[in-house]
Amino acid sequence: MTKAILSSYIKKNTFIHKLNPLTKLIFLVAVIITVFAVKSFIYNLIIVLAIIPLAYSAKLLSKVFKPLRYLFIIFIVLYGIQSFLYPEKETILIDFGYGIAIWEEGVLFATIISLRLLAMIVHGYFFVLVTHPGDLVCSLRKIKFPYKFGYIVLSTLQVIPRVASQMETIIDAQKSRGLETKGSIANRLKAYSPLLGPLFLGSVQNVVERTIALESRAFSYETEKTSYRETYVRKKDKIIMASIVVFFTLYGVISWIL
Amino acid sequence: MDIVKFKNYSWKYSETDKYVLKNINLTIQQGEFLGIIGNVGSGRSTLCMSLLGLVPHLFYGKTKGELIVDDIVVKKAKISDLSSRVGLVLQSPDTQLTGAGTNVEEELAFGLENLGVPRREIIKKVDSMLKLLNLEQLRNRSPFELSGGQQQKVAIASVFIMEPKILVLDEPTAQLDPLGTEQVFSFIKKLAKKGTTIILNTQKIDYIAEFADRIAVVNKGRVVKVGETREILTNVELLRRNGISPTVFTKLSEELIKNRLYKGELAMTFGDAVKIMKKVKRK
Repeated sequence: MTKAILSSYIKKNTFIHKLNPLTKLIFLVAVIITVFAVKSFIYNLIIVLAIIPLAYSAKLLSKVFKPLRYLFIIFIVLYGIQSFLYPEKETILIDFGYGIAIWEEGVLFATIISLRLLAMIVHGYFFVLVTHPGDLVCSLRKIKFPYKFGYIVLSTLQVIPRVASQMETIIDAQKSRGLETKGSIANRLKAYSPLLGPLFLGSVQNVVERTIALESRAFSYETEKTSYRETYVRKKDKIIMASIVVFFTLYGVISWIL
Repeated sequence: MDIVKFKNYSWKYSETDKYVLKNINLTIQQGEFLGIIGNVGSGRSTLCMSLLGLVPHLFYGKTKGELIVDDIVVKKAKISDLSSRVGLVLQSPDTQLTGAGTNVEEELAFGLENLGVPRREIIKKVDSMLKLLNLEQLRNRSPFELSGGQQQKVAIASVFIMEPKILVLDEPTAQLDPLGTEQVFSFIKKLAKKGTTIILNTQKIDYIAEFADRIAVVNKGRVVKVGETREILTNVELLRRNGISPTVFTKLSEELIKNRLYKGELAMTFGDAVKIMKKVKRK
Protein backbone atom coordinates (compact mmCIF):
# COMPACT_ATOMS: atom_id res chain seq x y z
CA MET A 1 0.00 0.00 0.00
CA THR A 2 1.36 3.42 -0.89
CA LYS A 3 1.69 5.82 1.95
CA ALA A 4 -0.97 8.46 2.10
CA ILE A 5 0.78 11.79 1.86
CA LEU A 6 -0.76 14.88 3.30
CA SER A 7 0.70 17.38 0.88
CA SER A 8 4.23 18.04 2.08
CA TYR A 9 3.49 19.27 5.58
CA ILE A 10 6.31 18.56 8.01
CA LYS A 11 5.36 18.63 11.66
CA LYS A 12 7.71 20.69 13.80
CA ASN A 13 7.23 22.61 16.98
CA THR A 14 8.35 26.11 16.03
CA PHE A 15 6.93 29.61 16.27
CA ILE A 16 6.06 29.68 12.58
CA HIS A 17 4.35 26.30 12.70
CA LYS A 18 2.18 27.47 15.56
CA LEU A 19 0.94 30.60 13.79
CA ASN A 20 -2.57 30.63 12.37
CA PRO A 21 -2.65 29.44 8.73
CA LEU A 22 -4.31 32.70 7.73
CA THR A 23 -1.31 34.68 8.99
CA LYS A 24 0.97 32.57 6.82
CA LEU A 25 -1.42 32.85 3.90
CA ILE A 26 -1.47 36.64 4.16
CA PHE A 27 2.31 36.63 4.17
CA LEU A 28 2.39 34.49 1.03
CA VAL A 29 -0.15 36.69 -0.76
CA ALA A 30 1.79 39.80 0.27
CA VAL A 31 5.00 38.28 -1.09
CA ILE A 32 3.39 37.44 -4.42
CA ILE A 33 1.83 40.88 -4.85
CA THR A 34 5.06 42.62 -3.85
CA VAL A 35 7.34 40.73 -6.24
CA PHE A 36 5.18 41.97 -9.09
CA ALA A 37 4.79 45.48 -7.73
CA VAL A 38 8.37 46.46 -6.90
CA LYS A 39 10.40 48.39 -9.41
CA SER A 40 13.85 46.87 -9.44
CA PHE A 41 15.00 43.31 -9.14
CA ILE A 42 17.21 43.96 -6.13
CA TYR A 43 14.05 44.24 -4.02
CA ASN A 44 12.91 40.88 -5.36
CA LEU A 45 16.27 39.37 -4.53
CA ILE A 46 15.88 40.54 -0.93
CA ILE A 47 12.45 38.89 -0.73
CA VAL A 48 13.84 35.63 -2.13
CA LEU A 49 16.72 35.67 0.34
CA ALA A 50 14.32 36.39 3.21
CA ILE A 51 13.35 32.73 2.99
CA ILE A 52 16.66 31.73 4.54
CA PRO A 53 16.08 33.18 8.03
CA LEU A 54 12.41 32.13 7.86
CA ALA A 55 13.20 28.54 6.93
CA TYR A 56 16.01 28.46 9.48
CA SER A 57 13.67 29.48 12.28
CA ALA A 58 11.17 26.80 11.15
CA LYS A 59 14.00 24.22 11.09
CA LEU A 60 13.35 23.49 7.42
CA LEU A 61 16.35 25.10 5.74
CA SER A 62 17.44 21.87 4.06
CA LYS A 63 13.95 21.17 2.68
CA VAL A 64 12.82 24.51 1.35
CA PHE A 65 15.01 24.62 -1.77
CA LYS A 66 13.95 21.18 -2.98
CA PRO A 67 11.62 22.36 -5.78
CA LEU A 68 14.47 24.34 -7.37
CA ARG A 69 15.72 21.17 -9.03
CA TYR A 70 12.71 21.22 -11.32
CA LEU A 71 13.00 24.96 -11.93
CA PHE A 72 16.53 24.74 -13.26
CA ILE A 73 15.48 23.85 -16.80
CA ILE A 74 12.93 26.65 -16.89
CA PHE A 75 15.64 29.16 -15.94
CA ILE A 76 17.97 27.93 -18.67
CA VAL A 77 15.25 28.25 -21.29
CA LEU A 78 14.21 31.64 -19.96
CA TYR A 79 17.73 33.08 -20.07
CA GLY A 80 18.44 31.42 -23.41
CA ILE A 81 15.46 32.97 -25.12
CA GLN A 82 15.33 36.35 -23.44
CA SER A 83 19.03 37.28 -23.65
CA PHE A 84 19.05 36.76 -27.43
CA LEU A 85 15.56 37.76 -28.46
CA TYR A 86 14.28 40.43 -26.04
CA PRO A 87 12.67 43.05 -28.32
CA GLU A 88 14.03 46.26 -26.76
CA LYS A 89 17.65 45.68 -27.74
CA GLU A 90 20.00 48.60 -26.91
CA THR A 91 23.16 47.48 -25.17
CA ILE A 92 25.21 44.58 -26.42
CA LEU A 93 26.76 42.44 -23.74
CA ILE A 94 28.49 39.79 -25.83
CA ASP A 95 28.66 40.00 -29.61
CA PHE A 96 28.87 36.76 -31.61
CA GLY A 97 28.79 38.52 -34.96
CA TYR A 98 26.32 37.80 -37.81
CA GLY A 99 23.74 39.84 -35.85
CA ILE A 100 23.66 37.32 -33.01
CA ALA A 101 24.32 38.81 -29.59
CA ILE A 102 23.39 38.68 -25.95
CA TRP A 103 21.63 41.86 -24.98
CA GLU A 104 21.83 43.45 -21.56
CA GLU A 105 18.11 44.31 -21.46
CA GLY A 106 17.23 40.71 -22.17
CA VAL A 107 19.42 39.41 -19.38
CA LEU A 108 17.93 41.94 -16.98
CA PHE A 109 14.41 41.00 -18.00
CA ALA A 110 15.11 37.29 -17.56
CA THR A 111 16.56 38.01 -14.13
CA ILE A 112 13.44 39.90 -13.04
CA ILE A 113 11.13 37.16 -14.25
CA SER A 114 13.16 34.36 -12.71
CA LEU A 115 13.40 36.17 -9.38
CA ARG A 116 9.62 36.57 -9.35
CA LEU A 117 9.21 32.88 -10.12
CA LEU A 118 11.79 31.95 -7.54
CA ALA A 119 10.15 34.07 -4.83
CA MET A 120 6.70 32.62 -5.51
CA ILE A 121 7.86 29.04 -5.61
CA VAL A 122 10.17 29.12 -2.63
CA HIS A 123 7.70 31.00 -0.45
CA GLY A 124 4.77 28.95 -1.73
CA TYR A 125 6.57 25.72 -0.96
CA PHE A 126 7.56 27.02 2.45
CA PHE A 127 3.89 27.80 3.15
CA VAL A 128 2.93 24.21 2.29
CA LEU A 129 5.72 22.85 4.48
CA VAL A 130 4.65 24.73 7.59
CA THR A 131 0.83 24.62 7.24
CA HIS A 132 -1.26 21.57 8.05
CA PRO A 133 -3.93 21.31 5.32
CA GLY A 134 -6.57 20.47 7.92
CA ASP A 135 -5.79 23.65 9.82
CA LEU A 136 -5.79 25.69 6.64
CA VAL A 137 -9.22 24.43 5.62
CA CYS A 138 -10.55 24.91 9.14
CA SER A 139 -9.40 28.52 9.31
CA LEU A 140 -10.65 29.25 5.79
CA ARG A 141 -14.08 27.94 6.77
CA LYS A 142 -14.05 30.33 9.70
CA ILE A 143 -13.82 33.27 7.34
CA LYS A 144 -16.83 31.86 5.47
CA PHE A 145 -15.16 29.94 2.68
CA PRO A 146 -17.65 27.41 1.26
CA TYR A 147 -17.78 24.12 3.18
CA LYS A 148 -17.66 22.06 0.00
CA PHE A 149 -14.53 23.86 -1.18
CA GLY A 150 -12.79 22.75 2.01
CA TYR A 151 -13.79 19.15 1.42
CA ILE A 152 -12.47 19.28 -2.12
CA VAL A 153 -9.06 20.51 -0.94
CA LEU A 154 -8.69 17.93 1.83
CA SER A 155 -10.01 14.91 -0.01
CA THR A 156 -7.97 15.64 -3.13
CA LEU A 157 -4.78 15.58 -1.09
CA GLN A 158 -5.72 12.17 0.25
CA VAL A 159 -7.33 10.64 -2.79
CA ILE A 160 -4.51 11.38 -5.27
CA PRO A 161 -2.15 8.87 -3.65
CA ARG A 162 -4.99 6.33 -3.89
CA VAL A 163 -5.24 6.90 -7.63
CA ALA A 164 -1.49 6.35 -7.88
CA SER A 165 -1.76 3.02 -6.09
CA GLN A 166 -4.71 2.05 -8.27
CA MET A 167 -2.52 2.74 -11.27
CA GLU A 168 0.15 0.42 -9.87
CA THR A 169 -2.42 -2.33 -9.43
CA ILE A 170 -3.59 -1.93 -13.02
CA ILE A 171 0.01 -1.94 -14.29
CA ASP A 172 0.71 -5.16 -12.38
CA ALA A 173 -2.43 -6.73 -13.77
CA GLN A 174 -1.48 -5.76 -17.32
CA LYS A 175 2.13 -6.88 -16.86
CA SER A 176 0.96 -10.31 -15.75
CA ARG A 177 -0.90 -10.48 -19.06
CA GLY A 178 2.29 -9.77 -20.97
CA LEU A 179 2.37 -5.99 -21.26
CA GLU A 180 5.87 -4.66 -22.03
CA THR A 181 6.69 -1.60 -19.93
CA LYS A 182 10.42 -1.42 -20.54
CA GLY A 183 12.50 -0.35 -23.53
CA SER A 184 12.49 2.83 -25.58
CA ILE A 185 10.45 5.89 -24.69
CA ALA A 186 8.03 5.18 -27.53
CA ASN A 187 7.55 1.66 -26.19
CA ARG A 188 6.86 2.93 -22.71
CA LEU A 189 4.35 5.51 -23.88
CA LYS A 190 2.62 2.82 -25.86
CA ALA A 191 2.55 0.60 -22.78
CA TYR A 192 0.94 3.22 -20.60
CA SER A 193 -1.89 4.22 -22.93
CA PRO A 194 -4.03 1.10 -22.30
CA LEU A 195 -3.91 1.87 -18.58
CA LEU A 196 -5.89 5.07 -18.91
CA GLY A 197 -9.21 3.40 -19.70
CA PRO A 198 -9.41 1.19 -16.62
CA LEU A 199 -7.94 3.95 -14.45
CA PHE A 200 -10.49 6.48 -15.61
CA LEU A 201 -13.46 4.14 -15.39
CA GLY A 202 -12.30 2.90 -12.00
CA SER A 203 -12.11 6.46 -10.74
CA VAL A 204 -15.63 7.22 -11.92
CA GLN A 205 -16.88 4.10 -10.15
CA ASN A 206 -15.09 5.24 -7.00
CA VAL A 207 -16.73 8.64 -7.24
CA VAL A 208 -20.18 7.03 -7.17
CA GLU A 209 -19.27 4.96 -4.12
CA ARG A 210 -17.66 7.88 -2.34
CA THR A 211 -20.77 9.98 -3.01
CA ILE A 212 -22.78 7.33 -1.21
CA ALA A 213 -20.29 7.38 1.66
CA LEU A 214 -20.62 11.17 1.85
CA GLU A 215 -24.40 11.02 1.80
CA SER A 216 -24.44 8.53 4.64
CA ARG A 217 -22.28 11.00 6.60
CA ALA A 218 -25.01 13.63 6.16
CA PHE A 219 -22.81 15.75 3.89
CA SER A 220 -25.81 17.44 2.27
CA TYR A 221 -27.67 17.89 5.56
CA GLU A 222 -28.62 21.54 5.81
CA THR A 223 -27.45 23.05 9.06
CA GLU A 224 -24.69 25.21 10.50
CA LYS A 225 -21.68 22.88 10.23
CA THR A 226 -19.33 22.57 13.16
CA SER A 227 -15.66 21.65 13.25
CA TYR A 228 -13.71 19.09 15.25
CA ARG A 229 -10.38 20.64 14.40
CA GLU A 230 -9.97 24.07 15.92
CA THR A 231 -7.69 26.96 14.99
CA TYR A 232 -7.41 30.24 16.83
CA VAL A 233 -6.48 33.70 15.65
CA ARG A 234 -4.38 34.79 18.62
CA LYS A 235 -3.12 38.22 19.54
CA LYS A 236 0.28 37.57 18.01
CA ASP A 237 -1.41 36.55 14.74
CA LYS A 238 -3.28 39.83 14.59
CA ILE A 239 -0.12 41.82 15.32
CA ILE A 240 1.86 39.91 12.70
CA MET A 241 -0.88 40.21 10.09
CA ALA A 242 -1.03 43.97 10.59
CA SER A 243 2.76 44.31 10.44
CA ILE A 244 2.89 42.22 7.24
CA VAL A 245 0.46 44.57 5.53
CA VAL A 246 2.27 47.70 6.75
CA PHE A 247 5.73 46.36 5.98
CA PHE A 248 5.04 45.22 2.44
CA THR A 249 3.15 48.41 1.58
CA LEU A 250 6.13 50.45 2.74
CA TYR A 251 8.50 48.08 0.94
CA GLY A 252 6.66 48.57 -2.33
CA VAL A 253 6.49 52.35 -1.91
CA ILE A 254 10.20 52.60 -1.06
CA SER A 255 11.14 50.59 -4.13
CA TRP A 256 9.40 53.19 -6.26
CA ILE A 257 10.83 56.25 -4.47
CA LEU A 258 14.47 55.21 -4.24
CA MET B 1 -42.59 -0.52 16.56
CA ASP B 2 -42.09 -0.90 12.82
CA ILE B 3 -39.22 1.28 11.69
CA VAL B 4 -39.05 0.15 8.06
CA LYS B 5 -42.08 -0.74 5.98
CA PHE B 6 -41.89 -1.94 2.38
CA LYS B 7 -45.38 -2.06 0.88
CA ASN B 8 -45.62 -3.73 -2.52
CA TYR B 9 -42.35 -1.97 -3.32
CA SER B 10 -40.81 -2.36 -6.79
CA TRP B 11 -37.86 -0.63 -8.40
CA LYS B 12 -36.36 -0.56 -11.88
CA TYR B 13 -33.15 1.24 -12.88
CA SER B 14 -33.67 3.33 -15.98
CA GLU B 15 -31.04 1.29 -17.84
CA THR B 16 -32.51 -2.13 -17.01
CA ASP B 17 -35.56 -3.72 -18.58
CA LYS B 18 -36.63 -5.87 -15.69
CA TYR B 19 -37.52 -4.74 -12.22
CA VAL B 20 -34.62 -5.24 -9.83
CA LEU B 21 -36.90 -5.28 -6.81
CA LYS B 22 -40.29 -6.88 -7.27
CA ASN B 23 -43.29 -6.37 -5.08
CA ILE B 24 -41.46 -6.38 -1.79
CA ASN B 25 -43.38 -6.59 1.46
CA LEU B 26 -41.18 -6.42 4.49
CA THR B 27 -41.43 -4.81 7.89
CA ILE B 28 -38.48 -4.36 10.19
CA GLN B 29 -38.86 -3.75 13.91
CA GLN B 30 -36.95 -1.12 15.85
CA GLY B 31 -33.86 -2.57 17.51
CA GLU B 32 -33.95 -5.69 15.38
CA PHE B 33 -30.95 -7.32 13.72
CA LEU B 34 -32.04 -8.43 10.28
CA GLY B 35 -29.79 -10.45 8.03
CA ILE B 36 -30.35 -10.34 4.29
CA ILE B 37 -29.05 -13.30 2.32
CA GLY B 38 -29.33 -14.34 -1.28
CA ASN B 39 -27.57 -15.03 -4.50
CA VAL B 40 -25.37 -12.62 -6.42
CA GLY B 41 -27.51 -10.19 -8.42
CA SER B 42 -30.61 -10.85 -6.39
CA GLY B 43 -31.19 -7.18 -5.64
CA ARG B 44 -29.90 -7.18 -2.09
CA SER B 45 -27.65 -4.15 -2.56
CA THR B 46 -30.43 -2.21 -4.25
CA LEU B 47 -32.64 -3.03 -1.30
CA CYS B 48 -30.00 -1.59 1.03
CA MET B 49 -29.57 1.55 -1.06
CA SER B 50 -33.29 2.24 -1.15
CA LEU B 51 -33.28 2.61 2.65
CA LEU B 52 -31.14 5.76 2.44
CA GLY B 53 -33.16 7.03 -0.51
CA LEU B 54 -30.25 6.62 -2.94
CA VAL B 55 -32.80 4.72 -4.90
CA PRO B 56 -34.72 6.70 -6.23
CA HIS B 57 -32.94 10.01 -5.50
CA LEU B 58 -29.35 9.37 -6.63
CA PHE B 59 -30.01 6.71 -9.27
CA TYR B 60 -32.66 7.16 -11.92
CA GLY B 61 -35.46 4.69 -12.38
CA LYS B 62 -39.02 3.82 -11.63
CA THR B 63 -40.65 2.95 -8.32
CA LYS B 64 -43.94 1.31 -7.50
CA GLY B 65 -45.46 0.84 -4.10
CA GLU B 66 -44.26 2.55 -0.97
CA LEU B 67 -41.29 2.55 1.39
CA ILE B 68 -41.53 4.18 4.79
CA VAL B 69 -38.41 4.59 6.90
CA ASP B 70 -38.88 5.97 10.40
CA ASP B 71 -42.23 7.52 9.44
CA ILE B 72 -40.72 9.23 6.39
CA VAL B 73 -42.02 8.36 2.96
CA VAL B 74 -38.75 7.83 1.10
CA LYS B 75 -40.13 8.76 -2.29
CA LYS B 76 -41.06 12.25 -1.11
CA ALA B 77 -38.09 12.86 1.19
CA LYS B 78 -34.59 14.12 0.41
CA ILE B 79 -31.46 12.02 0.99
CA SER B 80 -30.31 14.62 3.50
CA ASP B 81 -33.47 14.11 5.58
CA LEU B 82 -32.83 10.40 5.71
CA SER B 83 -29.09 10.56 6.24
CA SER B 84 -29.44 11.67 9.86
CA ARG B 85 -31.54 8.58 10.55
CA VAL B 86 -30.05 5.90 8.32
CA GLY B 87 -26.35 5.05 8.11
CA LEU B 88 -25.12 3.04 5.13
CA VAL B 89 -21.74 1.37 4.64
CA LEU B 90 -20.80 -0.35 1.38
CA GLN B 91 -18.28 -3.10 0.72
CA SER B 92 -15.16 -1.36 -0.54
CA PRO B 93 -13.26 -0.02 2.49
CA ASP B 94 -11.29 2.37 0.34
CA THR B 95 -14.23 4.37 -0.96
CA GLN B 96 -16.15 4.22 2.30
CA LEU B 97 -13.66 6.61 3.81
CA THR B 98 -14.60 10.13 2.83
CA GLY B 99 -11.11 11.63 2.89
CA ALA B 100 -12.50 14.62 4.76
CA GLY B 101 -10.43 13.80 7.82
CA THR B 102 -6.66 13.79 7.82
CA ASN B 103 -6.64 11.16 10.56
CA VAL B 104 -8.95 8.57 12.09
CA GLU B 105 -10.29 10.99 14.71
CA GLU B 106 -11.35 13.50 12.09
CA GLU B 107 -12.86 10.84 9.86
CA LEU B 108 -15.03 9.81 12.82
CA ALA B 109 -15.92 13.44 13.55
CA PHE B 110 -16.90 14.27 9.97
CA GLY B 111 -20.51 13.04 10.12
CA LEU B 112 -21.10 14.87 13.40
CA GLU B 113 -19.68 18.08 11.93
CA ASN B 114 -22.14 17.77 9.09
CA LEU B 115 -25.01 17.37 11.53
CA GLY B 116 -23.87 20.51 13.33
CA VAL B 117 -23.12 18.83 16.65
CA PRO B 118 -21.22 21.24 18.98
CA ARG B 119 -17.46 20.70 19.09
CA ARG B 120 -17.37 19.71 22.76
CA GLU B 121 -19.85 16.90 22.20
CA ILE B 122 -17.98 15.69 19.13
CA ILE B 123 -14.79 15.36 21.17
CA LYS B 124 -16.62 13.35 23.84
CA LYS B 125 -18.27 11.08 21.30
CA VAL B 126 -15.10 10.48 19.31
CA ASP B 127 -13.21 9.58 22.47
CA SER B 128 -15.81 7.14 23.70
CA MET B 129 -16.20 5.58 20.25
CA LEU B 130 -12.45 5.04 19.95
CA LYS B 131 -12.42 3.48 23.41
CA LEU B 132 -15.41 1.24 22.73
CA LEU B 133 -13.86 -0.17 19.59
CA ASN B 134 -10.23 -0.36 20.70
CA LEU B 135 -9.17 2.01 17.95
CA GLU B 136 -7.34 4.36 20.29
CA GLN B 137 -3.87 3.47 19.08
CA LEU B 138 -4.93 4.39 15.53
CA ARG B 139 -6.42 7.80 16.28
CA ASN B 140 -3.65 9.89 14.77
CA ARG B 141 -2.98 7.67 11.76
CA SER B 142 -4.26 8.51 8.31
CA PRO B 143 -7.26 6.26 7.60
CA PHE B 144 -5.81 5.47 4.18
CA GLU B 145 -2.74 3.86 5.71
CA LEU B 146 -4.72 1.25 7.64
CA SER B 147 -5.38 -2.35 6.66
CA GLY B 148 -8.66 -3.18 4.92
CA GLY B 149 -10.25 -4.57 8.08
CA GLN B 150 -9.26 -1.54 10.11
CA GLN B 151 -10.47 0.82 7.38
CA GLN B 152 -13.84 -0.86 7.30
CA LYS B 153 -14.04 -0.66 11.10
CA VAL B 154 -13.33 3.06 10.89
CA ALA B 155 -15.92 3.47 8.12
CA ILE B 156 -18.60 1.65 10.11
CA ALA B 157 -17.67 3.49 13.30
CA SER B 158 -17.85 6.87 11.58
CA VAL B 159 -21.39 6.12 10.47
CA PHE B 160 -22.39 4.56 13.79
CA ILE B 161 -21.11 7.55 15.78
CA MET B 162 -23.86 9.66 14.21
CA GLU B 163 -26.30 7.48 16.15
CA PRO B 164 -28.50 6.56 13.22
CA LYS B 165 -31.70 4.74 14.10
CA ILE B 166 -30.94 2.25 11.38
CA LEU B 167 -27.50 0.99 10.38
CA VAL B 168 -27.42 -0.62 6.95
CA LEU B 169 -24.33 -2.68 6.12
CA ASP B 170 -24.08 -3.79 2.52
CA GLU B 171 -21.58 -6.65 2.37
CA PRO B 172 -19.13 -4.91 4.70
CA THR B 173 -16.70 -7.83 4.60
CA ALA B 174 -16.85 -8.84 0.94
CA GLN B 175 -13.36 -7.49 0.20
CA LEU B 176 -11.68 -8.49 3.44
CA ASP B 177 -9.44 -11.38 4.38
CA PRO B 178 -10.61 -13.89 7.04
CA LEU B 179 -8.95 -11.98 9.87
CA GLY B 180 -10.47 -8.68 8.74
CA THR B 181 -13.86 -10.35 8.42
CA GLU B 182 -13.60 -11.73 11.94
CA GLN B 183 -12.66 -8.29 13.27
CA VAL B 184 -15.50 -6.51 11.51
CA PHE B 185 -18.10 -9.03 12.62
CA SER B 186 -17.06 -8.95 16.24
CA PHE B 187 -17.27 -5.20 15.96
CA ILE B 188 -20.78 -5.33 14.49
CA LYS B 189 -21.75 -7.64 17.35
CA LYS B 190 -20.68 -4.96 19.82
CA LEU B 191 -22.73 -2.34 18.01
CA ALA B 192 -25.79 -4.60 17.90
CA LYS B 193 -25.83 -4.64 21.70
CA LYS B 194 -26.41 -0.86 21.71
CA GLY B 195 -29.98 -1.27 20.51
CA THR B 196 -29.62 0.16 17.01
CA THR B 197 -31.63 -1.45 14.24
CA ILE B 198 -29.09 -3.24 12.07
CA ILE B 199 -29.70 -4.50 8.57
CA LEU B 200 -26.82 -6.63 7.37
CA ASN B 201 -26.55 -7.86 3.83
CA THR B 202 -23.91 -10.56 3.57
CA GLN B 203 -22.87 -13.81 1.97
CA LYS B 204 -21.11 -14.98 5.11
CA ILE B 205 -23.97 -16.81 6.75
CA ASP B 206 -21.70 -18.59 9.24
CA TYR B 207 -21.37 -15.24 10.97
CA ILE B 208 -24.96 -13.96 10.87
CA ALA B 209 -26.12 -17.34 12.17
CA GLU B 210 -24.51 -16.25 15.43
CA PHE B 211 -26.32 -13.00 15.98
CA ALA B 212 -29.12 -12.07 13.57
CA ASP B 213 -32.63 -12.02 15.05
CA ARG B 214 -34.37 -12.62 11.75
CA ILE B 215 -33.28 -13.39 8.23
CA ALA B 216 -34.77 -12.42 4.89
CA VAL B 217 -34.01 -14.59 1.88
CA VAL B 218 -33.92 -12.61 -1.35
CA ASN B 219 -33.94 -14.12 -4.81
CA LYS B 220 -34.41 -12.47 -8.21
CA GLY B 221 -35.69 -9.25 -6.68
CA ARG B 222 -38.24 -10.86 -4.41
CA VAL B 223 -38.19 -11.43 -0.67
CA VAL B 224 -38.80 -15.16 -0.75
CA LYS B 225 -39.09 -15.71 2.97
CA VAL B 226 -38.56 -13.86 6.24
CA GLY B 227 -38.29 -15.66 9.53
CA GLU B 228 -36.39 -16.44 12.70
CA THR B 229 -32.72 -17.09 12.05
CA ARG B 230 -32.83 -20.74 13.10
CA GLU B 231 -36.01 -21.41 11.16
CA ILE B 232 -34.47 -20.08 7.96
CA LEU B 233 -30.91 -21.34 8.22
CA THR B 234 -31.88 -24.90 9.09
CA ASN B 235 -34.35 -24.99 6.21
CA VAL B 236 -31.77 -26.51 3.92
CA GLU B 237 -34.14 -27.01 1.04
CA LEU B 238 -35.22 -23.36 1.03
CA LEU B 239 -31.61 -22.19 1.07
CA ARG B 240 -30.50 -24.47 -1.78
CA ARG B 241 -33.50 -23.56 -3.87
CA ASN B 242 -32.40 -19.94 -3.65
CA GLY B 243 -28.77 -20.61 -4.43
CA ILE B 244 -27.44 -20.25 -0.90
CA SER B 245 -25.11 -22.74 0.68
CA PRO B 246 -26.02 -23.65 4.29
CA THR B 247 -23.42 -23.13 7.04
CA VAL B 248 -20.64 -25.69 7.37
CA PHE B 249 -22.16 -26.77 10.66
CA THR B 250 -25.52 -27.45 9.03
CA LYS B 251 -23.80 -29.45 6.31
CA LEU B 252 -21.88 -31.41 8.92
CA SER B 253 -25.05 -32.36 10.82
CA GLU B 254 -26.77 -33.23 7.54
CA GLU B 255 -23.94 -35.59 6.71
CA LEU B 256 -24.10 -37.21 10.15
CA ILE B 257 -27.84 -37.77 9.76
CA LYS B 258 -27.30 -39.29 6.33
CA ASN B 259 -24.76 -41.70 7.76
CA ARG B 260 -27.12 -42.52 10.63
CA LEU B 261 -24.69 -41.32 13.23
CA TYR B 262 -27.07 -38.74 14.61
CA LYS B 263 -30.79 -38.09 14.84
CA GLY B 264 -32.41 -34.74 15.58
CA GLU B 265 -32.31 -31.10 14.57
CA LEU B 266 -29.81 -29.68 12.14
CA ALA B 267 -26.99 -27.61 13.56
CA MET B 268 -26.57 -23.96 12.66
CA THR B 269 -23.77 -22.51 14.76
CA PHE B 270 -20.42 -23.68 16.04
CA GLY B 271 -22.03 -24.29 19.46
CA ASP B 272 -24.70 -26.58 17.95
CA ALA B 273 -22.06 -28.56 16.12
CA VAL B 274 -20.06 -29.09 19.30
CA LYS B 275 -23.16 -30.39 21.10
CA ILE B 276 -23.91 -32.82 18.28
CA MET B 277 -20.35 -34.08 18.16
CA LYS B 278 -20.50 -34.79 21.89
CA LYS B 279 -23.73 -36.79 21.39
CA VAL B 280 -22.19 -38.74 18.54
CA LYS B 281 -19.16 -39.56 20.63
CA ARG B 282 -21.28 -40.81 23.53
CA LYS B 283 -23.01 -43.26 21.22
